[in-house]
Amino acid sequence: MSLLDLITGIAAFLFTLFIFSYLIGDNPLFRLAVYIFVGVSAGYVAAVAFRQVLWPDLLFPLLTGSVAQKALLVMPLILSALLLTKVSPRLTSLGMPAMALLVGVSAAVAVGGAVTGTLLPQAGATINLFDTHAAASVPQLAQMMFNGAWILAGVTTTLVYFHFGARTTRDGSARRFGFIEFLAFIGSIFLAITLGVLFAGVYSAALTALIDRFHFFGTLFGLH
Amino acid sequence: MRYLAVAIAIAAGLIVLISYFVPALAMVQSVLLNWAIILAGMAALVGVFNLISVHGDKVRRREKGNIYSAVLLVSLFASFIFGLALGPDQPYIRLLVNTVIVPVETALMALLSVTLLYASIRLLRRRTDVMSIVFLLTAVLMLAASATLPFGEILPLNNLIRPWIQQVLALGGARGILIGVALGTLTTGLRVLFGADRPYGDK
Repeated sequence: MSLLDLITGIAAFLFTLFIFSYLIGDNPLFRLAVYIFVGVSAGYVAAVAFRQVLWPDLLFPLLTGSVAQKALLVMPLILSALLLTKVSPRLTSLGMPAMALLVGVSAAVAVGGAVTGTLLPQAGATINLFDTHAAASVPQLAQMMFNGAWILAGVTTTLVYFHFGARTTRDGSARRFGFIEFLAFIGSIFLAITLGVLFAGVYSAALTALIDRFHFFGTLFGLH
Repeated sequence: MRYLAVAIAIAAGLIVLISYFVPALAMVQSVLLNWAIILAGMAALVGVFNLISVHGDKVRRREKGNIYSAVLLVSLFASFIFGLALGPDQPYIRLLVNTVIVPVETALMALLSVTLLYASIRLLRRRTDVMSIVFLLTAVLMLAASATLPFGEILPLNNLIRPWIQQVLALGGARGILIGVALGTLTTGLRVLFGADRPYGDK
């Protein structure tokens, strides 16, 4: 182990220990580690944004590119300068056009992504479970239909759960229709099962991270 | 300025959206996307400048906890200057990431194993309804089925129940959530594109 490895190993050990100290409550060591983490991460993100986006896509072509390239980059240069005014509370409204372009393009990409990346594939996958030509045998077809019916029930009742249209009752309170309320209850069961599965996955990942930290301690102190 | 911003958002958004269906506009779409990427990079820098401004003010005014803000600023400037000078893929910068960012992120993730356990116990004490019980029962079943137990795996749980819950029941719920999220994204995106929502305003 070189001296550099030893120093970085001890630093990583201390950072891990400082974070684990949160188990006894919020304390100065935990805060110190978190503030250093935020500082290093923010500096790293800023360096990556400059080196991998602003320099190659804006500044370098502006300095060395053709006239056509430079002409195309004048607008983002102006908008970038306007965006910088967001730092100052007095000049913040000057950054609105730049934010507007960013939000407008992002909204369009999000709409396109939601339709072509989620809505159509997910609806298609639910419908395909009832494709009778996909099954090789009758028992396989029966299994597909059985599972497909459960999945379809899960999809529709989960969507119904998020339906909040209601009518006002005589006492002034808002209530959903009885049938919708029943479907929403079934949907809540499906949601609870889904979130339980996701929780188990996250918990397993957290346990894996805990084991990784103990493994790191063992490696650093030569225990294995 | 407000009307100009609304016009820019609607025009840019609609051109990008229409380009999905009109291949002749692909070139314009590519230019607008490139501009948006540059602005996103600049927005990241603006965010970091804002962080510097907030913590710089704390240090200047000698507010409570200003020592932490000073530490944050020193670590931020150090990693930014080294990252800028050497490049984010340089071995020394990777070493910095592996010494600070990876251990802290992994340790925070590891802390989650304790806080999640505590939260699930509190859930049962605070809210004992059908949804909570089904949620915790499913989580325990999934963990028991995936764990390496001293007496070997629980066969029907591991071979039959877990795959069925994961691949049928949870899939149905997850698909419902995904479609719901996509519908929400679609609605919000269209509201922005038609100018009903203006999240780029100064108020």
